[in-house]
Amino acid sequence: MATVTIISDEARTVDGAAAGDRMTLDAERLPDAVGWQLKPEGLCQADVCVPVRDRDALFVDGRLDVAAVAGALGRAAVVDAAAGIAAIANDAETRRQALDGLQAPDFTLNDLDGNPHRLSEWHGKKRLLAAFASW
Amino acid sequence: MPTVLWIDEDGRIARPNGVAFGSDLFKDFTGVEAEPHKDEIRRWVRDGEVPIAADAARRAVADLSDDEVMARLHFRVAAHARRAGDEDAARRHFAEAGRLAPSDWTIRRAALPLVGDDPFGQTFFDMYGEWEKLGKPYHGLPATG
Repeated sequence: MATVTIISDEARTVDGAAAGDRMTLDAERLPDAVGWQLKPEGLCQADVCVPVRDRDALFVDGRLDVAAVAGALGRAAVVDAAAGIAAIANDAETRRQALDGLQAPDFTLNDLDGNPHRLSEWHGKKRLLAAFASW
Repeated sequence: MPTVLWIDEDGRIARPNGVAFGSDLFKDFTGVEAEPHKDEIRRWVRDGEVPIAADAARRAVADLSDDEVMARLHFRVAAHARRAGDEDAARRHFAEAGRLAPSDWTIRRAALPLVGDDPFGQTFFDMYGEWEKLGKPYHGLPATG
């Protein structure tokens, strides 16, 4: 079994397989790969479940097809099976809520010494986020 | 780039991202002065005054198009492939990302140094000219001179 990397909210490398233009996983690897789990009621994450109309369509030779899972979640995906890398987008509703809510995500960035810092470390203070490139 | 975002004490975005500079070093090229934005920051910090109402802030950043969503996915695959040493896959996905989002600097210019191109070279100036002709499309507050 090879490993594949799936990038969604973060990049995760799990056991998987790539053949042709498909990337597949054992169903029990799905939570580690994308944070969702296949249950009788659908694809579930925490207390949210997305019903799956055609469950069989998620599988290829008994394994979950990464692109089909992304499609069932209503998310765009890019799968490069040869490179062993896939990326899955947020769904449109999540993006809309983020834009409407104006709430900054609690992201993490490293300082110059490589130490990670979360935005929430400065809760209660005004924060100015400047993004630039040093090239 | 550079782009600046204001986040208030409660984690809410007080001013959506917009082009802003720390100095006037590139003013002749960009037409954007640094001081007006810095004055706005001072008024925000000292008096809590924000230059944009919440409703306008919600509308300031348009959602991504389907192509832009796909471009970001290709860029993420490319960046990961590059870190993993798969230069062929990286080049292929950087190119596809740029094709899908030709006006997105975060995609196209950011990819230049990652594929060995010069971010200040002719490719950049050609891109800048194309971007100007398209009306300087941008996901954020428009730059003001």
